[in-house]
Amino acid sequence: MADWIPIALSRDVPVGITRAVIVDTREVMIWRGEDGVAQVWEDRCPHRGMRLSLGFVRGNALNCLYHGWQYGAGANCLRIPAHPDLTVPPTIRANAYAATETGGMVWMSSDSADPPPLLPALTPVITLAIEAAPERVLAALGGSTAEPLIGLPFAGGTLQLGWHRAHAAKTMLHATGAGADIAAATAHLRALRQSLEQEAAA
Amino acid sequence: MSLTDDRAALDQWYTLGALQDFPAGAEVPSRLLGEDLTVRRLTDDVEVRAAGRALPVRTDYGHLWTSFGTPERDLFELPESREPDRRWIHCGPVRVRASGLRLVENFLDLAHFPYVHTDILGSEAHPEVARYEVEQRRDVDELWATKCEFYQPKAAAASDEGQISKYMYRVVSPFNVMLYKTPPTAPDRWDVIALFVQPADEAVSVAHAFMLVIDLTSTDAELSAFQQMIFVQDKIVLENQRPSLLPLQPGRETPTRADLSSVLYRRWLKEKQLRFGTEPRTDLQSTDLPHA
Ligand code: FES
Ligand SMILES: [Fe+2]
Repeated sequence: MADWIPIALSRDVPVGITRAVIVDTREVMIWRGEDGVAQVWEDRCPHRGMRLSLGFVRGNALNCLYHGWQYGAGANCLRIPAHPDLTVPPTIRANAYAATETGGMVWMSSDSADPPPLLPALTPVITLAIEAAPERVLAALGGSTAEPLIGLPFAGGTLQLGWHRAHAAKTMLHATGAGADIAAATAHLRALRQSLEQEAAA
Repeated sequence: MSLTDDRAALDQWYTLGALQDFPAGAEVPSRLLGEDLTVRRLTDDVEVRAAGRALPVRTDYGHLWTSFGTPERDLFELPESREPDRRWIHCGPVRVRASGLRLVENFLDLAHFPYVHTDILGSEAHPEVARYEVEQRRDVDELWATKCEFYQPKAAAASDEGQISKYMYRVVSPFNVMLYKTPPTAPDRWDVIALFVQPADEAVSVAHAFMLVIDLTSTDAELSAFQQMIFVQDKIVLENQRPSLLPLQPGRETPTRADLSSVLYRRWLKEKQLRFGTEPRTDLQSTDLPHA
Protein backbone atom coordinates (compact mmCIF):
# COMPACT_ATOMS: atom_id res chain seq x y z
CA MET A 1 0.00 0.00 0.00
CA ALA A 2 1.23 3.49 -0.80
CA ASP A 3 2.51 5.37 2.21
CA TRP A 4 0.09 8.03 3.50
CA ILE A 5 -3.44 7.80 2.17
CA PRO A 6 -6.28 10.30 2.69
CA ILE A 7 -9.36 8.26 3.66
CA ALA A 8 -11.99 10.78 4.80
CA LEU A 9 -12.76 14.43 5.34
CA SER A 10 -12.06 15.37 8.96
CA ARG A 11 -15.42 17.14 9.09
CA ASP A 12 -17.19 13.81 8.49
CA VAL A 13 -15.71 12.27 11.66
CA PRO A 14 -16.92 14.48 14.52
CA VAL A 15 -16.18 13.73 18.17
CA GLY A 16 -18.01 10.64 19.46
CA ILE A 17 -18.46 9.10 16.02
CA THR A 18 -17.24 5.92 14.32
CA ARG A 19 -16.99 5.56 10.56
CA ALA A 20 -16.33 2.50 8.38
CA VAL A 21 -14.09 2.96 5.31
CA ILE A 22 -12.89 0.46 2.72
CA VAL A 23 -9.26 1.12 1.76
CA ASP A 24 -7.90 -1.07 -0.99
CA THR A 25 -10.46 -3.81 -0.10
CA ARG A 26 -9.47 -3.67 3.57
CA GLU A 27 -12.12 -2.81 6.15
CA VAL A 28 -10.86 -0.02 8.38
CA MET A 29 -12.65 2.30 10.77
CA ILE A 30 -12.11 5.81 12.07
CA TRP A 31 -13.25 7.07 15.44
CA ARG A 32 -12.75 10.26 17.39
CA GLY A 33 -12.92 10.51 21.18
CA GLU A 34 -13.33 13.56 23.37
CA ASP A 35 -9.64 14.42 23.05
CA GLY A 36 -10.36 15.22 19.39
CA VAL A 37 -7.71 12.87 17.98
CA ALA A 38 -8.79 10.74 14.99
CA GLN A 39 -7.89 7.02 15.30
CA VAL A 40 -7.72 4.64 12.34
CA TRP A 41 -8.01 0.92 13.18
CA GLU A 42 -8.69 -2.34 11.47
CA ASP A 43 -12.48 -2.75 11.54
CA ARG A 44 -12.35 -5.94 13.57
CA CYS A 45 -12.38 -6.56 17.29
CA PRO A 46 -9.62 -8.97 18.32
CA HIS A 47 -12.00 -10.76 20.70
CA ARG A 48 -14.53 -12.34 18.31
CA GLY A 49 -14.11 -10.33 15.12
CA MET A 50 -16.99 -7.87 15.52
CA ARG A 51 -16.66 -4.80 13.30
CA LEU A 52 -15.56 -2.00 15.60
CA SER A 53 -17.31 0.61 13.45
CA LEU A 54 -20.56 -0.64 15.02
CA GLY A 55 -19.15 0.10 18.45
CA PHE A 56 -19.72 3.22 20.51
CA VAL A 57 -17.45 5.98 21.74
CA ARG A 58 -17.51 7.06 25.38
CA GLY A 59 -15.06 9.71 26.49
CA ASN A 60 -11.73 8.72 25.00
CA ALA A 61 -12.53 5.05 24.58
CA LEU A 62 -14.13 2.88 21.93
CA ASN A 63 -16.43 0.09 23.08
CA CYS A 64 -17.14 -2.96 20.98
CA LEU A 65 -20.84 -3.61 20.43
CA TYR A 66 -20.66 -7.36 20.95
CA HIS A 67 -19.24 -7.84 24.46
CA GLY A 68 -18.38 -4.29 25.43
CA TRP A 69 -14.59 -4.66 25.41
CA GLN A 70 -13.20 -1.18 25.84
CA TYR A 71 -10.19 0.15 23.94
CA GLY A 72 -8.22 3.29 24.73
CA ALA A 73 -6.72 5.72 22.25
CA GLY A 74 -3.51 3.66 22.22
CA ALA A 75 -5.55 0.67 20.92
CA ASN A 76 -4.91 -1.34 24.09
CA CYS A 77 -7.85 -3.06 25.71
CA LEU A 78 -8.70 -1.35 29.00
CA ARG A 79 -11.63 -3.37 30.21
CA ILE A 80 -13.32 -6.73 29.63
CA PRO A 81 -16.76 -6.35 31.23
CA ALA A 82 -17.33 -10.12 31.61
CA HIS A 83 -14.32 -10.10 33.98
CA PRO A 84 -14.60 -6.80 35.88
CA ASP A 85 -11.68 -7.57 38.19
CA LEU A 86 -9.26 -8.61 35.47
CA THR A 87 -6.24 -6.45 34.73
CA VAL A 88 -6.21 -6.77 30.96
CA PRO A 89 -2.85 -8.00 29.62
CA PRO A 90 -1.18 -5.36 27.40
CA THR A 91 -0.97 -7.89 24.57
CA ILE A 92 -4.72 -7.54 23.97
CA ARG A 93 -5.07 -4.68 21.54
CA ALA A 94 -6.92 -3.53 18.46
CA ASN A 95 -4.95 -3.34 15.24
CA ALA A 96 -4.16 0.36 14.80
CA TYR A 97 -2.77 2.12 11.75
CA ALA A 98 -0.70 5.27 11.91
CA ALA A 99 -3.09 8.22 11.51
CA THR A 100 -2.85 11.96 11.11
CA GLU A 101 -4.95 14.90 9.99
CA THR A 102 -3.87 17.58 7.60
CA GLY A 103 -5.52 19.66 4.87
CA GLY A 104 -8.94 18.90 6.33
CA MET A 105 -8.52 15.15 5.75
CA VAL A 106 -7.87 12.05 7.87
CA TRP A 107 -4.83 10.11 6.61
CA MET A 108 -3.65 6.60 7.37
CA SER A 109 -0.47 4.65 6.76
CA SER A 110 0.36 0.97 7.13
CA ASP A 111 4.07 1.43 7.71
CA SER A 112 4.42 5.17 8.46
CA ALA A 113 8.08 5.04 7.43
CA ASP A 114 7.80 8.51 5.90
CA PRO A 115 6.53 11.47 7.89
CA PRO A 116 2.95 12.44 7.10
CA PRO A 117 2.35 15.25 4.61
CA LEU A 118 1.90 18.79 5.92
CA LEU A 119 -0.80 20.80 4.22
CA PRO A 120 -2.39 24.15 4.95
CA ALA A 121 -5.90 24.12 6.41
CA LEU A 122 -8.36 23.56 3.59
CA THR A 123 -12.14 23.89 3.58
CA PRO A 124 -13.97 20.54 3.24
CA VAL A 125 -16.26 20.30 0.23
CA ILE A 126 -17.52 16.73 -0.16
CA THR A 127 -16.48 13.07 -0.27
CA LEU A 128 -17.66 11.34 -3.44
CA ALA A 129 -17.71 7.63 -4.24
CA ILE A 130 -17.07 7.02 -7.93
CA GLU A 131 -17.82 3.66 -9.51
CA ALA A 132 -14.70 3.66 -11.69
CA ALA A 133 -11.10 2.48 -11.36
CA PRO A 134 -8.71 5.00 -9.76
CA GLU A 135 -6.41 4.79 -12.83
CA ARG A 136 -9.26 6.01 -15.01
CA VAL A 137 -10.39 8.71 -12.56
CA LEU A 138 -6.88 10.08 -12.06
CA ALA A 139 -6.14 10.11 -15.78
CA ALA A 140 -9.35 12.05 -16.41
CA LEU A 141 -8.67 14.57 -13.63
CA GLY A 142 -5.01 15.08 -14.45
CA GLY A 143 -3.72 13.33 -11.30
CA SER A 144 -1.22 10.54 -10.76
CA THR A 145 -1.62 7.29 -8.82
CA ALA A 146 1.79 8.05 -7.28
CA GLU A 147 0.43 11.19 -5.61
CA PRO A 148 -2.23 11.32 -2.88
CA LEU A 149 -3.63 14.67 -4.05
CA ILE A 150 -5.04 15.99 -7.31
CA GLY A 151 -5.05 19.73 -8.02
CA LEU A 152 -8.24 20.39 -9.95
CA PRO A 153 -8.64 23.86 -11.50
CA PHE A 154 -12.01 25.32 -10.60
CA ALA A 155 -13.47 28.82 -10.93
CA GLY A 156 -10.11 30.55 -11.12
CA GLY A 157 -8.74 28.64 -8.10
CA THR A 158 -7.76 25.05 -7.34
CA LEU A 159 -9.58 22.26 -5.51
CA GLN A 160 -7.33 19.81 -3.68
CA LEU A 161 -8.77 16.32 -4.05
CA GLY A 162 -7.47 13.56 -1.81
CA TRP A 163 -8.22 10.13 -3.23
CA HIS A 164 -8.13 6.52 -2.15
CA ARG A 165 -8.87 3.20 -3.76
CA ALA A 166 -11.85 1.40 -2.22
CA HIS A 167 -11.40 -1.53 -4.56
CA ALA A 168 -10.30 -2.09 -8.16
CA ALA A 169 -13.39 -0.40 -9.63
CA LYS A 170 -14.27 2.17 -6.99
CA THR A 171 -12.51 5.45 -6.21
CA MET A 172 -13.17 7.73 -3.24
CA LEU A 173 -12.50 11.45 -3.69
CA HIS A 174 -12.16 13.80 -0.71
CA ALA A 175 -12.55 17.31 -2.05
CA THR A 176 -11.28 20.42 -0.31
CA GLY A 177 -10.65 23.97 -1.42
CA ALA A 178 -9.35 27.27 -0.07
CA GLY A 179 -12.16 29.80 -0.25
CA ALA A 180 -14.09 27.76 -2.83
CA ASP A 181 -17.81 28.23 -3.33
CA ILE A 182 -18.87 24.93 -1.77
CA ALA A 183 -22.23 24.58 -3.53
CA ALA A 184 -20.74 25.32 -6.94
CA ALA A 185 -17.74 23.03 -6.33
CA THR A 186 -20.05 20.22 -5.18
CA ALA A 187 -22.21 20.56 -8.30
CA HIS A 188 -19.10 20.58 -10.51
CA LEU A 189 -17.73 17.41 -8.86
CA ARG A 190 -21.07 15.60 -9.10
CA ALA A 191 -21.20 16.33 -12.81
CA LEU A 192 -17.64 15.02 -13.15
CA ARG A 193 -18.61 11.85 -11.32
CA GLN A 194 -21.55 11.29 -13.63
CA SER A 195 -19.45 11.51 -16.77
CA LEU A 196 -16.70 9.30 -15.27
CA GLU A 197 -19.20 6.61 -14.30
CA GLN A 198 -20.88 6.72 -17.69
CA GLU A 199 -17.52 6.32 -19.35
CA ALA A 200 -16.56 3.44 -17.05
CA ALA A 201 -19.86 1.66 -17.72
CA ALA A 202 -19.59 2.11 -21.52
CA MET B 1 -21.00 -23.06 -5.17
CA SER B 2 -21.90 -26.75 -5.22
CA LEU B 3 -22.24 -29.50 -2.64
CA THR B 4 -19.32 -29.57 -0.23
CA ASP B 5 -16.94 -32.54 -0.18
CA ASP B 6 -16.48 -32.16 3.57
CA ARG B 7 -17.21 -35.63 4.92
CA ALA B 8 -17.67 -34.41 8.50
CA ALA B 9 -20.36 -31.97 7.33
CA LEU B 10 -22.07 -34.39 4.97
CA ASP B 11 -22.50 -37.11 7.61
CA GLN B 12 -24.82 -35.04 9.84
CA TRP B 13 -28.55 -34.47 10.23
CA TYR B 14 -29.82 -31.01 9.27
CA THR B 15 -33.20 -29.43 9.60
CA LEU B 16 -34.79 -27.79 6.56
CA GLY B 17 -37.46 -26.17 8.72
CA ALA B 18 -40.62 -26.78 10.71
CA LEU B 19 -42.93 -29.36 9.11
CA GLN B 20 -45.76 -26.83 9.24
CA ASP B 21 -43.84 -24.70 6.72
CA PHE B 22 -44.11 -27.37 4.02
CA PRO B 23 -47.69 -27.40 2.76
CA ALA B 24 -49.02 -30.73 1.49
CA GLY B 25 -48.78 -31.14 -2.25
CA ALA B 26 -46.43 -28.19 -2.81
CA GLU B 27 -42.85 -28.42 -4.01
CA VAL B 28 -40.60 -26.20 -1.92
CA PRO B 29 -37.01 -25.37 -2.95
CA SER B 30 -34.37 -25.41 -0.24
CA ARG B 31 -30.61 -25.38 0.07
CA LEU B 32 -28.08 -27.22 2.21
CA LEU B 33 -24.26 -27.36 2.25
CA GLY B 34 -24.02 -25.54 -1.07
CA GLU B 35 -26.55 -27.70 -2.93
CA ASP B 36 -30.14 -27.02 -4.06
CA LEU B 37 -32.85 -29.34 -2.78
CA THR B 38 -36.53 -29.91 -3.42
CA VAL B 39 -38.93 -30.82 -0.64
CA ARG B 40 -42.25 -32.42 -1.46
CA ARG B 41 -44.79 -33.08 1.24
CA LEU B 42 -47.20 -35.85 0.39
CA THR B 43 -50.04 -36.62 2.76
CA ASP B 44 -48.02 -38.53 5.33
CA ASP B 45 -44.63 -38.60 3.72
CA VAL B 46 -42.00 -36.07 2.95
CA GLU B 47 -39.61 -36.44 0.07
CA VAL B 48 -36.30 -34.58 -0.17
CA ARG B 49 -34.36 -34.72 -3.43
CA ALA B 50 -31.04 -33.30 -4.55
CA ALA B 51 -29.64 -33.69 -8.06
CA GLY B 52 -32.18 -36.44 -8.79
CA ARG B 53 -31.31 -38.41 -5.67
CA ALA B 54 -33.71 -39.09 -2.78
CA LEU B 55 -32.20 -38.24 0.61
CA PRO B 56 -33.04 -39.82 3.98
CA VAL B 57 -35.77 -38.04 5.91
CA ARG B 58 -36.77 -37.71 9.58
CA THR B 59 -39.72 -35.79 10.99
CA ASP B 60 -38.87 -35.64 14.69
CA TYR B 61 -39.68 -32.68 16.97
CA GLY B 62 -41.98 -31.02 14.48
CA HIS B 63 -39.12 -30.50 12.04
CA LEU B 64 -38.00 -31.93 8.75
CA TRP B 65 -34.50 -33.43 8.88
CA THR B 66 -32.26 -34.76 6.15
CA SER B 67 -28.67 -35.74 5.40
CA PHE B 68 -26.44 -36.09 2.35
CA GLY B 69 -24.31 -38.77 3.95
CA THR B 70 -24.51 -41.46 6.57
CA PRO B 71 -24.70 -39.90 10.03
CA GLU B 72 -22.83 -41.87 12.65
CA ARG B 73 -25.73 -41.52 15.09
CA ASP B 74 -29.44 -41.18 14.83
CA LEU B 75 -31.04 -37.85 15.59
CA PHE B 76 -30.43 -36.54 19.12
CA GLU B 77 -32.81 -37.25 22.02
CA LEU B 78 -35.14 -34.53 23.26
CA PRO B 79 -37.05 -36.04 26.20
CA GLU B 80 -38.86 -32.76 26.92
CA SER B 81 -40.75 -33.21 23.65
CA ARG B 82 -42.72 -36.01 25.36
CA GLU B 83 -43.90 -33.86 28.30
CA PRO B 84 -47.59 -33.09 27.75
CA ASP B 85 -47.64 -29.62 29.36
CA ARG B 86 -44.94 -28.13 27.10
CA ARG B 87 -45.90 -25.57 24.51
CA TRP B 88 -44.26 -25.98 21.13
CA ILE B 89 -43.35 -22.65 19.59
CA HIS B 90 -41.67 -22.24 16.21
CA CYS B 91 -40.00 -18.91 15.60
CA GLY B 92 -38.12 -19.10 12.36
CA PRO B 93 -36.85 -19.18 9.76
CA VAL B 94 -34.40 -16.28 9.73
CA ARG B 95 -31.77 -15.97 7.02
CA VAL B 96 -28.37 -14.81 8.28
CA ARG B 97 -25.34 -13.97 6.17
CA ALA B 98 -22.78 -15.74 8.35
CA SER B 99 -21.37 -19.19 8.96
CA GLY B 100 -23.77 -21.44 10.84
CA LEU B 101 -20.93 -22.16 13.26
CA ARG B 102 -20.85 -18.46 14.18
CA LEU B 103 -24.59 -18.73 14.93
CA VAL B 104 -24.07 -21.67 17.25
CA GLU B 105 -21.18 -19.96 19.00
CA ASN B 106 -23.25 -16.82 19.52
CA PHE B 107 -26.05 -18.94 20.93
CA LEU B 108 -23.61 -20.38 23.50
CA ASP B 109 -22.41 -16.96 24.57
CA LEU B 110 -23.50 -15.25 27.80
CA ALA B 111 -21.14 -12.26 27.73
CA HIS B 112 -23.00 -10.42 24.97
CA PHE B 113 -26.32 -10.21 26.82
CA PRO B 114 -25.73 -6.76 28.38
CA TYR B 115 -24.59 -5.23 25.08
CA VAL B 116 -26.65 -6.91 22.38
CA HIS B 117 -29.82 -7.61 24.40
CA THR B 118 -29.54 -4.55 26.64
CA ASP B 119 -32.08 -4.38 29.49
CA ILE B 120 -33.69 -7.64 28.35
CA LEU B 121 -31.30 -10.59 28.72
CA GLY B 122 -28.61 -8.52 30.40
CA SER B 123 -27.80 -5.13 31.82
CA GLU B 124 -24.63 -3.08 31.54
CA ALA B 125 -24.60 -2.80 35.33
CA HIS B 126 -24.20 -6.62 35.65
CA PRO B 127 -21.86 -7.78 32.87
CA GLU B 128 -19.88 -10.36 34.85
CA VAL B 129 -19.81 -13.94 33.60
CA ALA B 130 -19.31 -16.27 36.54
CA ARG B 131 -17.23 -19.40 36.12
CA TYR B 132 -19.19 -22.23 34.51
CA GLU B 133 -18.34 -25.76 33.45
CA VAL B 134 -18.06 -27.32 30.02
CA GLU B 135 -17.64 -30.99 29.24
CA GLN B 136 -17.63 -33.21 26.23
CA ARG B 137 -19.92 -36.18 26.90
CA ARG B 138 -18.16 -38.89 24.95
CA ASP B 139 -20.97 -41.48 25.17
CA VAL B 140 -23.42 -39.27 23.25
CA ASP B 141 -20.80 -37.05 21.57
CA GLU B 142 -22.40 -33.88 22.91
CA LEU B 143 -20.94 -30.75 24.40
CA TRP B 144 -22.54 -29.50 27.63
CA ALA B 145 -22.04 -26.20 29.44
CA THR B 146 -23.52 -26.25 32.93
CA LYS B 147 -23.77 -24.06 36.04
CA CYS B 148 -24.17 -20.93 33.93
CA GLU B 149 -25.75 -18.01 35.78
CA PHE B 150 -26.53 -14.54 34.60
CA TYR B 151 -28.46 -11.54 35.87
CA GLN B 152 -31.34 -10.75 33.50
CA PRO B 153 -33.70 -7.76 33.65
CA LYS B 154 -36.33 -9.53 31.48
CA ALA B 155 -35.45 -13.18 31.08
CA ALA B 156 -38.54 -14.27 29.12
CA ALA B 157 -41.84 -13.04 27.72
CA ALA B 158 -43.59 -13.71 31.06
CA SER B 159 -40.99 -11.93 33.28
CA ASP B 160 -41.99 -8.78 35.08
CA GLU B 161 -38.82 -8.33 37.13
CA GLY B 162 -35.11 -9.09 37.01
CA GLN B 163 -33.75 -12.47 38.08
CA ILE B 164 -30.57 -14.49 38.17
CA SER B 165 -31.26 -17.00 35.40
CA LYS B 166 -29.69 -20.43 35.39
CA TYR B 167 -28.71 -21.88 32.04
CA MET B 168 -27.41 -25.12 30.60
CA TYR B 169 -26.28 -25.42 27.02
CA ARG B 170 -26.19 -28.57 24.96
CA VAL B 171 -24.56 -28.87 21.54
CA VAL B 172 -25.83 -32.05 19.91
CA SER B 173 -24.10 -31.65 16.55
CA PRO B 174 -21.99 -28.92 14.92
CA PHE B 175 -25.06 -27.02 13.68
CA ASN B 176 -27.69 -27.93 16.30
CA VAL B 177 -27.75 -26.53 19.78
CA MET B 178 -30.20 -25.97 22.61
CA LEU B 179 -30.33 -24.25 25.94
CA TYR B 180 -32.16 -25.05 29.13
CA LYS B 181 -33.25 -22.14 31.20
CA THR B 182 -35.29 -21.68 34.38
CA PRO B 183 -38.73 -20.32 33.43
CA PRO B 184 -39.98 -17.35 35.51
CA THR B 185 -43.16 -19.29 36.38
CA ALA B 186 -41.78 -22.78 37.13
CA PRO B 187 -38.39 -22.49 38.87
CA ASP B 188 -38.09 -26.26 39.36
CA ARG B 189 -38.16 -27.06 35.63
CA TRP B 190 -36.26 -26.06 32.52
CA ASP B 191 -37.53 -24.32 29.41
CA VAL B 192 -35.89 -25.61 26.25
CA ILE B 193 -34.89 -23.23 23.49
CA ALA B 194 -33.30 -24.86 20.46
CA LEU B 195 -31.47 -23.32 17.56
CA PHE B 196 -31.40 -25.61 14.55
CA VAL B 197 -29.14 -24.12 11.90
CA GLN B 198 -29.51 -24.99 8.24
CA PRO B 199 -26.15 -24.17 6.65
CA ALA B 200 -27.25 -23.22 3.13
CA ASP B 201 -23.77 -22.11 2.07
CA GLU B 202 -20.54 -21.63 3.98
CA ALA B 203 -21.44 -18.06 4.90
CA VAL B 204 -25.25 -18.15 4.51
CA SER B 205 -27.41 -19.82 7.13
CA VAL B 206 -31.05 -20.21 7.96
CA ALA B 207 -31.83 -20.20 11.67
CA HIS B 208 -34.80 -22.21 12.91
CA ALA B 209 -35.51 -21.39 16.54
CA PHE B 210 -37.79 -23.71 18.43
CA MET B 211 -39.05 -23.59 22.00
CA LEU B 212 -40.55 -26.14 24.32
CA VAL B 213 -41.69 -23.96 27.17
CA ILE B 214 -43.74 -23.92 30.32
CA ASP B 215 -45.66 -20.67 30.30
CA LEU B 216 -49.30 -20.42 31.31
CA THR B 217 -49.77 -16.74 30.62
CA SER B 218 -48.15 -15.63 27.35
CA THR B 219 -49.78 -16.24 23.98
CA ASP B 220 -47.95 -18.13 21.22
CA ALA B 221 -47.57 -14.85 19.37
CA GLU B 222 -45.99 -13.18 22.42
CA LEU B 223 -43.57 -16.04 22.95
CA SER B 224 -42.49 -16.11 19.34
CA ALA B 225 -42.27 -12.30 19.10
CA PHE B 226 -39.98 -12.21 22.14
CA GLN B 227 -37.63 -14.76 20.63
CA GLN B 228 -37.66 -13.03 17.26
CA MET B 229 -36.79 -9.68 18.82
CA ILE B 230 -33.81 -11.33 20.52
CA PHE B 231 -32.71 -13.00 17.31
CA VAL B 232 -32.92 -9.84 15.23
CA GLN B 233 -30.47 -8.28 17.70
CA ASP B 234 -28.14 -11.26 17.28
CA LYS B 235 -28.39 -11.09 13.50
CA ILE B 236 -26.87 -7.58 13.48
CA VAL B 237 -23.83 -8.88 15.31
CA LEU B 238 -23.55 -12.09 13.30
CA GLU B 239 -23.56 -10.33 9.94
CA ASN B 240 -20.82 -7.98 11.11
CA GLN B 241 -18.29 -10.45 12.45
CA ARG B 242 -15.07 -10.75 10.45
CA PRO B 243 -14.34 -13.13 9.01
CA SER B 244 -17.87 -14.48 8.44
CA LEU B 245 -16.43 -17.99 8.58
CA LEU B 246 -15.44 -19.36 11.97
CA PRO B 247 -11.66 -19.15 12.50
CA LEU B 248 -10.17 -22.32 13.99
CA GLN B 249 -6.58 -21.18 13.66
CA PRO B 250 -5.00 -20.46 17.05
CA GLY B 251 -4.38 -16.77 17.70
CA ARG B 252 -6.94 -15.45 15.21
CA GLU B 253 -9.24 -14.39 18.03
CA THR B 254 -8.85 -13.77 21.75
CA PRO B 255 -10.88 -15.99 24.07
CA THR B 256 -11.10 -15.33 27.81
CA ARG B 257 -12.55 -17.49 30.58
CA ALA B 258 -16.09 -16.40 29.67
CA ASP B 259 -15.50 -17.95 26.22
CA LEU B 260 -14.84 -21.42 27.58
CA SER B 261 -17.78 -22.94 25.71
CA SER B 262 -16.50 -21.38 22.47
CA VAL B 263 -13.01 -22.74 23.09
CA LEU B 264 -14.30 -26.27 23.64
CA TYR B 265 -16.78 -26.02 20.76
CA ARG B 266 -13.92 -25.09 18.39
CA ARG B 267 -11.77 -27.91 19.76
CA TRP B 268 -14.65 -30.36 19.22
CA LEU B 269 -15.11 -29.13 15.62
CA LYS B 270 -11.38 -29.60 14.98
CA GLU B 271 -11.55 -33.10 16.41
CA LYS B 272 -14.33 -33.86 13.93
CA GLN B 273 -12.22 -32.27 11.17
CA LEU B 274 -15.19 -30.16 10.16
CA ARG B 275 -14.38 -27.62 7.43
CA PHE B 276 -17.73 -26.34 6.14
CA GLY B 277 -18.25 -22.83 7.57
CA THR B 278 -14.69 -22.53 8.90
CA GLU B 279 -12.03 -20.10 7.76
CA PRO B 280 -9.31 -21.74 5.61
CA ARG B 281 -6.25 -22.31 7.77
CA THR B 282 -2.74 -21.25 6.87
CA ASP B 283 -0.95 -22.83 9.81
CA LEU B 284 -1.16 -26.48 8.76
CA GLN B 285 1.17 -28.57 6.62
CA SER B 286 0.00 -28.70 3.00
CA THR B 287 -0.55 -32.46 3.35
CA ASP B 288 -3.27 -31.97 5.94
CA LEU B 289 -4.53 -28.57 4.86
CA PRO B 290 -8.31 -28.81 5.26
CA HIS B 291 -9.12 -26.42 2.42
CA ALA B 292 -6.63 -27.87 -0.08
S1 FES C 1 -16.09 -9.17 19.67
FE1 FES C 1 -15.60 -7.25 20.44
S2 FES C 1 -15.93 -7.46 22.52
FE2 FES C 1 -16.33 -9.43 21.79
FE1 LIG D 1 -27.87 -13.23 21.62
